[in-house]
Amino acid sequence: MTQSRWLTWLSPLLLLVLWEVAVQLNLLNRVFIPPPSEVMVALTKALRDGSMQHDVLVSSQRIVLGFVIGAVPGTLLGIWSGLNRTVLALVRPLATMLYPVPKIALLPLVIVVLGIGEVSKVATVAVSVFLMVVIHTIGGVLQIDQRYFEAARVFGANQRTIFRTVALPASLPAIVEGWKLAMGFALTLIVGVEFVGANDGIGYRIWQSYELYAIADMMAAVCVIAGLGWVVTVVLDEVARLLVPWRYTTVKESRMSVVRTWWGAVRPWSYTAAIVPVLLGAAIAAQQVGLNWWLLILALIGSIAIQGGTNLMNDYYDYRKGTDTPAVKGTGGALLRGDLTPTQIFWAGITAFAIGAAIGLYLVSVTGPFIFWLGLCSVAVGYFYTAGPFALAYVGLGEIAVFIFMGPVMVLGSYFLQIPTVAWPAVWVSLPVAFVVAAILHANNLRDIDTDRINNKRTLATIFGRDGARIEYYILVGGTFVSQWVLVALGVAPWPTLVTLAMLPLAWKLMGIAGREVDPAALQPVLRQTAMLHMRFGLLYVLGWVIALWV
Amino acid sequence: MDSGVVVDFAHLGVTYANGVVALSDLSLTIAADQAVCVVGPSGCGKTTLLRVLAGLERATHGGVQLSRPATLAMVFQQGLLFPWLSVADNISYGLMTRGATPPQCRAAAREWCERMGLQRFIDAYPHQLSGGMQQRVGLARALAVNPDVLLLDEPFAALDAQTRVLMQELLVDLRRQGLCRSLLLVTHAIDEALLVGDRVVVLSARPGRIIADVTPQVSHGQSFDEIRAQPAFMQAFTTIWQLIRHEVEAQLREEVTL
Ligand SMILES: Nc1ncnc2c1ncn2[C@@H]1O[C@H](COP(=O)(O)OP(=O)(O)O)[C@@H](O)[C@H]1O
Ligand SMILES: [Mg+2]
Repeated sequence: MTQSRWLTWLSPLLLLVLWEVAVQLNLLNRVFIPPPSEVMVALTKALRDGSMQHDVLVSSQRIVLGFVIGAVPGTLLGIWSGLNRTVLALVRPLATMLYPVPKIALLPLVIVVLGIGEVSKVATVAVSVFLMVVIHTIGGVLQIDQRYFEAARVFGANQRTIFRTVALPASLPAIVEGWKLAMGFALTLIVGVEFVGANDGIGYRIWQSYELYAIADMMAAVCVIAGLGWVVTVVLDEVARLLVPWRYTTVKESRMSVVRTWWGAVRPWSYTAAIVPVLLGAAIAAQQVGLNWWLLILALIGSIAIQGGTNLMNDYYDYRKGTDTPAVKGTGGALLRGDLTPTQIFWAGITAFAIGAAIGLYLVSVTGPFIFWLGLCSVAVGYFYTAGPFALAYVGLGEIAVFIFMGPVMVLGSYFLQIPTVAWPAVWVSLPVAFVVAAILHANNLRDIDTDRINNKRTLATIFGRDGARIEYYILVGGTFVSQWVLVALGVAPWPTLVTLAMLPLAWKLMGIAGREVDPAALQPVLRQTAMLHMRFGLLYVLGWVIALWV
Repeated sequence: MDSGVVVDFAHLGVTYANGVVALSDLSLTIAADQAVCVVGPSGCGKTTLLRVLAGLERATHGGVQLSRPATLAMVFQQGLLFPWLSVADNISYGLMTRGATPPQCRAAAREWCERMGLQRFIDAYPHQLSGGMQQRVGLARALAVNPDVLLLDEPFAALDAQTRVLMQELLVDLRRQGLCRSLLLVTHAIDEALLVGDRVVVLSARPGRIIADVTPQVSHGQSFDEIRAQPAFMQAFTTIWQLIRHEVEAQLREEVTL
């Protein structure tokens, strides 16, 4: 990261520190101006009792709904007006006339017409979004260089093709720009709308806190709406990059946008081992209680962050040791291609760990010490996995460690977040997932059996020899299915989980290849597809549990 | 119409809505496989002539006829590539509008990129290319539809002098490979007309009338530098230049008296 990047963070940080110090020294009256620490406390409280999530959700719903209802017809009408003189003559004067009217001034009128409920709030947002989008879209279509239309005609394009290949793409930059402005507008407007006649939402929260003189709560809400604004900006920028890629490519090469680079480098969707157990634990708990989505989502993010951090750190050290090549997928490849720098990877890893740790501590504070011990054990095993004198992976204990911790332990932890008891059924139910996650690791060891032997790495595969290792792979993959059938037969797992049978052909194929091939290159697909088996089997298994909620 | 003729401008006149008479009573035929270059002073109606043929402008009197349903394609002065399409999609645009499937389009784009030395840029956007590269794409887009008549409107005027020569050579080379049949190129550069055309038509100042129709006796099939050194080339150049000079000077005098 460059120096100026840090400097941009410095001034707001400094302001916060000065503010805090000034209040602590009683230079500022904390009744009127509470310090940042108090705002943080207020924010945490609002997050804990779920009121903040509720308000954000409600306000977001109003914004998104109003935006879609306004922007979709606005865009269509705008394009039509831009292309058709008659429609233009009808639409433009009206839109231009209404445009400067402050939309909040229309709210009372809208309330008179539509009542004070949800409809009037959404409608107010929708109307202003609509006007904004219409005006920008018309402008975008009218400014198209007419010669592009002529070129298209010379090359034989009919009206429809011209619309699709010229009118639409040529006006898209201006249209997206209009969307961005309208979204910013919607955000401002919703706060004002919620000041009056609302029972929830961020704007309501701000006003309510003002009336109760809870300034810290008010500031917490303001921070959240600022954060929301930031998220919206980032999302819309990405939308723009996706829709208008030709505006964003530099002269050297088509560079992916920052988010896409990171997304491709970190590959969060590939973290099947981090996702499936968490989902499974929650799905089992959901059989007994209503799901706490907030905790589930936090657990998912935390779990993904930890695995992401681990991957990033691995890539960082691999790069320093020089084992990766540019063709490698993931961050390792991105590093060598120069899309990302080692320092960026390192700090991203640290950030991921920090996020994971923060979420972990929060979860501990919500649900008690059991999660803490569980987490501590996991971290210890994670550390000793490849490090230290008893590197588990190199004394043949890798599969067992993975089996226990990425199976029962994670499922139990996720279950515990929903229902704070240690439930043995959750452990039994996790066994199929434990088998298949161990199979991933073993597929790796099976592929590397010869090089590991040379390097004196002791894995179960090198200990058993190739034939034994093949049998172990059969046991792990077979065990995945057989253990599940036993669970169903005993009535521990519901019968809809048998949808996993759809994965039997894939498993059969993989066992075939593993039993036949010796060449590492031929065994590479086995590794990749065993991970795929884990994800598909796991998701289907979870799906079965979800279906069981209704049947 | 005689069977060898592909394009037939007959007594063409174009008067614009603001009263400007761009062309009056212009008659010109283009034979199959003939390369006709039209030179004339700036503003004499050269672009108008092409636009009428391309169907972008209406004739006020007279008109233009094609001997049979003919495919036309055009290379525009500023390239006029679609900025939102990749090089590949620009090249295959005319095929796409005529119903080619995406794989066919892609195959054609790849073939033309190879031919034009654009392989590395096949997935780039036009603004990522230099002017010369852009005009190669413009040429490829036009030739990809395998046109019966290729129209070019000062295609190389915006390029630097070196690139321009290379592009002229490329065009002649493509023609020699049989990738481009009849060709109507308008330009204000006399040497370009002589190097590319089998026939050079000289227009007067506005409204454009034909004041000369020359078949340069230069022998093609040599390098451009050798052609330029031929006495026939220099002689034709001088003759045309005198004609155009006369027109421009007359026009200037007229404007001064106005
Ligand atoms: N759309 C138009 N409306 C009015 N006048 C035009 C239009 N297009 C061209 N002209 C005029 O017609 C004349 C011929 O134009 P053009 O064919 O572009 O000349 P050239 O290509 O030979 O430079 C010029 O004087 C130009 O100003
Ligand atoms: Mg012109």
